[in-house]
Amino acid sequence: MAAAVASSHELDDFEAVVRLHWLKVFRFAMASVRDRHAAETLAQDCFFRAYRARGSFRGEASVSTWLMQIAVNLVRDHARDRRLQFWKRARLTAVDVTTAGRWLPDAGASPEVAALMKEQVQAVWDATATLSERQRTVFLLRFVEDMDLLEIAAATGLKEGTVKVHLFRALQAVRERIGGAK
Amino acid sequence: MIEHLSAEQISQWMMGERTPQLLQHVTGCARCGAELQQLETALTQFRTAMREPPYSPAYPIVPPAWREPDSSSPWYSWPRLVLAIAALFILVALPLSWRARVREQAAQTALADSQLLESVDSAISQAVPEPMEPLVSLVSWNSSSTDQNRKAPGQ
Repeated sequence: MAAAVASSHELDDFEAVVRLHWLKVFRFAMASVRDRHAAETLAQDCFFRAYRARGSFRGEASVSTWLMQIAVNLVRDHARDRRLQFWKRARLTAVDVTTAGRWLPDAGASPEVAALMKEQVQAVWDATATLSERQRTVFLLRFVEDMDLLEIAAATGLKEGTVKVHLFRALQAVRERIGGAK
Repeated sequence: MIEHLSAEQISQWMMGERTPQLLQHVTGCARCGAELQQLETALTQFRTAMREPPYSPAYPIVPPAWREPDSSSPWYSWPRLVLAIAALFILVALPLSWRARVREQAAQTALADSQLLESVDSAISQAVPEPMEPLVSLVSWNSSSTDQNRKAPGQ
């Protein structure tokens, strides 16, 4: 009960909530839809919905998980809408997947090591593109956002066992891409 | 022959479910250890890349300034008021114009009916049908002379 009260108070300063969680929500949306403008719109929509629904927040999960739950739903709706569209307007602003490897900071690594790392990042990025929407969501929440299985289950509305199955499939796809799966 | 980790066990390891048996195998098996190392490195690098994406220095990722939606605005704010008036106008004007049109049509029908009835009355009030009227002028309607003419042959 105390946690719930504390969480409710956390939502009082909504500007602080946006500052604290914006990057996480945007990053998840960006990696999911691969379109910067769409990701920004989704992130803004996420916070707008959260603001409107803040009265119903009971603190059963953390604010972060609650926001990710909204973001997951928005990404799912977005994917559904895109399936209905026969034009691909998003391609105009889509992230060029060939640049994903360049996102990695070199951090003083040798050119060979840096090239190998970028190649692997690219392989993982390519693998996530082949995943189903649910597999990608679960994979990103686990391996980018560092959420544990129970948090992922809460954010996606899936059972823990189902989360594990999706993660298994996603990891298989990644292993195949980076040459680990036999 | 050494049994290497299955895909399920590797997945289990990556999900953080590291049982003592798994740990023992990974420390003792160079091949599985290397594979897990490769996968972990790739995922760590991926996480780093995704968390610090230099999308564009000229377009950094910053949260937009949060402006609370104005929930305290009165229900009669201008756009709402205009919409409400437009809706009210449509609700009132449409039935009125429909009624006026119905009334106008009824009046036109009544007029046409009365004109038709008048023409019918005038038609049936004539003694001789209109096409036969020229013949009437040729006929003498003096009845006495006619009777005399009729009696003459019998006398």
